[in-house]
Amino acid sequence: MTKSNKALHGAIALAGISALALTACTGPSGGGGTATEGAGGAITYGTTDKVVTLDPAGSYDGGSFMVMNQIYPFLLNYAPGTADATPDIAESASFTSPTEYTVKLKPDLKFANGNTLDSSDVVFSFNRVKNIDDPNGPASLLSNMEKIEATDPNTVVFTLVAGNDQVFPGVLASNPGPIVDEEVFPADKVLDDDAIVAAKPFAGQYTIDSYKKNELVSFKPNPDYQGLLGKAANDGATLKHYADPNNLKLDVQQGNIDVAGRILTATDVADLESDSNVKVHKGPGGELRYMVFNFDTMPFGTKTPDADPSKALAVRQAIAHLVDRDVIASQVFKNTYTPVYSYVPKEFEGATEPLKSLYGDGSGKPSLDKAKKVLADAGVTSVVDLKLQYTDRYGTSAADEYALVKEQLEKSGLFTVDLKSTEWTTYTKERRADAYPVYQLGWFPDYSDADNYLTPFFIPGNFLGNHYENPAVTDIVKKQLVTTDKAERSELLGQAQEAVAKDLSTLPLLQGAQVMVAGTDVQGVEKTLDPSFKTRLGVMSK
Amino acid sequence: MTTLIDAPPSDADGILPATRKSAGGGLGQYILVRFLLIFPTIFILVTMVFFLMRITGDPITAAMGGRLPADQLQERIQAAGYDRPILVQYFEYLGQLATGNFGRTLTDNRAVVEMLTTYGSATLELSINALLVALVVGIPLGMVAAHRRDKAPDAVLRVFAILCYATPVFFAGMLLKLTFSVWLGWLPVAGRAKTSSELALTSLQAPTGIYWLDALRSGNMAALADVVAHSVLPAVALGLLTAGIFLRLVRTNVIGTLGRDYVEAGRSRGVSEYRLVTKHAYKPALIPIITVMGLQIAVMLGGAVLTEKTFEWKGLGFQLANYLTARDFVAVQGIVVLLAIIVAMTNFIVDIIAALIDPRVRY
Repeated sequence: MTKSNKALHGAIALAGISALALTACTGPSGGGGTATEGAGGAITYGTTDKVVTLDPAGSYDGGSFMVMNQIYPFLLNYAPGTADATPDIAESASFTSPTEYTVKLKPDLKFANGNTLDSSDVVFSFNRVKNIDDPNGPASLLSNMEKIEATDPNTVVFTLVAGNDQVFPGVLASNPGPIVDEEVFPADKVLDDDAIVAAKPFAGQYTIDSYKKNELVSFKPNPDYQGLLGKAANDGATLKHYADPNNLKLDVQQGNIDVAGRILTATDVADLESDSNVKVHKGPGGELRYMVFNFDTMPFGTKTPDADPSKALAVRQAIAHLVDRDVIASQVFKNTYTPVYSYVPKEFEGATEPLKSLYGDGSGKPSLDKAKKVLADAGVTSVVDLKLQYTDRYGTSAADEYALVKEQLEKSGLFTVDLKSTEWTTYTKERRADAYPVYQLGWFPDYSDADNYLTPFFIPGNFLGNHYENPAVTDIVKKQLVTTDKAERSELLGQAQEAVAKDLSTLPLLQGAQVMVAGTDVQGVEKTLDPSFKTRLGVMSK
Repeated sequence: MTTLIDAPPSDADGILPATRKSAGGGLGQYILVRFLLIFPTIFILVTMVFFLMRITGDPITAAMGGRLPADQLQERIQAAGYDRPILVQYFEYLGQLATGNFGRTLTDNRAVVEMLTTYGSATLELSINALLVALVVGIPLGMVAAHRRDKAPDAVLRVFAILCYATPVFFAGMLLKLTFSVWLGWLPVAGRAKTSSELALTSLQAPTGIYWLDALRSGNMAALADVVAHSVLPAVALGLLTAGIFLRLVRTNVIGTLGRDYVEAGRSRGVSEYRLVTKHAYKPALIPIITVMGLQIAVMLGGAVLTEKTFEWKGLGFQLANYLTARDFVAVQGIVVLLAIIVAMTNFIVDIIAALIDPRVRY
């Protein structure tokens, strides 16, 4: 061998050995990862939820709101473990008259970029959400807000359309509630994520240190935060986005992340329950999985060539008669989700089960005869062609869930179902553009009250935008909102659910609990799995 | 020109005849011609991508047909300009490309160029790693197979080669992941690095986006080890696809070369079989590898889509799959065009390398 060849071979061998050594140094991803990741008390949270936008005016979804909860301040918020909205960056907040809600801010508040946070920013933030009224934004939650005014640098007064709004404090702690910097955000349009991160308009428990959309977000505790949540229990947090829930599961199992949040599949959760390296934490329920009917474009909808409202109603009722929730819950979700026959989950005061008695065999099981009859009575004589859409947003099980719905409907011989799936960020825009005649959605509540399952869905200008409008329903929903007597309000909530069940604007299928899976060395997870339904990174540590 | 085809490069032992000098145009002219050929190649590829993506009609009808009311559908088609003659749209698209404007993605309103540069580096890293695996596995094993021709190791290696290029890359990926990540726990499950390494590397001044390079530049050996560990399975899954082809190619070429007169002459002069294979037969056998390598880049980029999806390697392939699901036509077109340009450029580079190594290709 020549000298140069020897050198070349030596170099190749050295490179090979080095590569192997480097790989070996890393060792099993199981053990080593956790120790290094956890150095300094930072925690890593993984999720398959996606961020639509960091701008509070442009999103109304769990993935975006989760990040907003860490970085933006709220006037009111929930202390961990509670479901009562109490002042966050506010010093006080209360009704000063039935239609006036006055909030006084704590003094000397500021954003991470050094800008002052005062009443002017608060007024700007709420007006902005309402004025932009983005189709994917939370403006519908502010339907009872007539106006907002700053009476001094630290005080704002909300004037409400209907007095004694029982859930207004909850609304302030929910999706339209993040307070943003008026010197950063434009008043009339949604701001791009990268521009938001660069301008640092954060005044919540954390600031964003680095941001790769739907990949990796690094949070740093905000030393200037003076709110209800206090100092974060960790030195920082990282949010890691996954595309595949299987990878999320394996990474939490092997200690590469500390906590896995939404959304693991039911089989993954069941599997992880028997793994001694992790702990499965469960919180109160509240999640609904349901179908939405677009009243314009569904079969016989008002904008279809053969529009006929009574036939359209019969189609909705036939579907309600045919779906077998028990089979979906057991086969697809291994009973980690349970059948729901109500618009309001049973944990909430005022919940009823009108769908059980109105549809199917009366006990929750399907009824083919009733489905046939309702269609025949309405004059629907041919097989109904149904275009049904679902999304990856609610976990990979959605594919199996809707395959089963398709099977159940087609087995009846009454429907042919064209089933398609769309990625969430596109889905959320297209559904509001009336692109899906019948489609899947899920609901994670904004605040802990039965109203959060009614007002956002069934009053004009609602979040669904499915063109459903029933003045009688609207009246009841609005009335319960301002009824202070608990028994009377409960009665009204029941009436509202009964009326909606007859119209079938949506069809609830299943209800689920909050689930997080964490390494056994992680503390505080249960503090965020509370009835406020907010994911707070600041309560977790190790 | 039989003698030229038979002629291997010269060597120190003096058993090989010297290569003739080029009798035709010089290297400069060759490079110029090859360079100029890139433009029609890219033009044809871009044109094909454009028209193939419109073969089923405009993207809005393809996505929304039957779901949106007819008037809304038409409104959206008009707003996007898809109601204009296809040739008008095509020339407008070419005009935009000429100015480097790939448009903005429909789903997240990002500049396509920015998206391509962000995720292109990840795909480049994976492709380099995979190519290394293909070379490191394919070439030595091809030589072993040739050296032990028609014996047991040869048979085993030939079956191995067939398995390599016949196994779908996503299946190989899943098998590797199950074995080395899930069961044995030796290697990471997915991603390009642990979150701590990723944060360290992305926070560098002017990062290249190629993690091992950034880790080396910053002297962060822990991150480098982590990045290498994360790279192993995706690189092997993708690299084996090409390794099988390289193995077969090297084997065939080495066997062919071993039968040539100059090797026989060496053999008769007492040069050992091992030396004949490792010193004299492998060099000419490698020349076709260079050419095939260019073609394999296209195969590899295709495989990268599935590999990246399997291992959540957030590169162009991963994004392409996401944008396809989201029916983001602009983003998909941008990625496909970039991949086409990469293939054309790679072939150009490979042609140049082949010409430098073997002057015969210039004739």
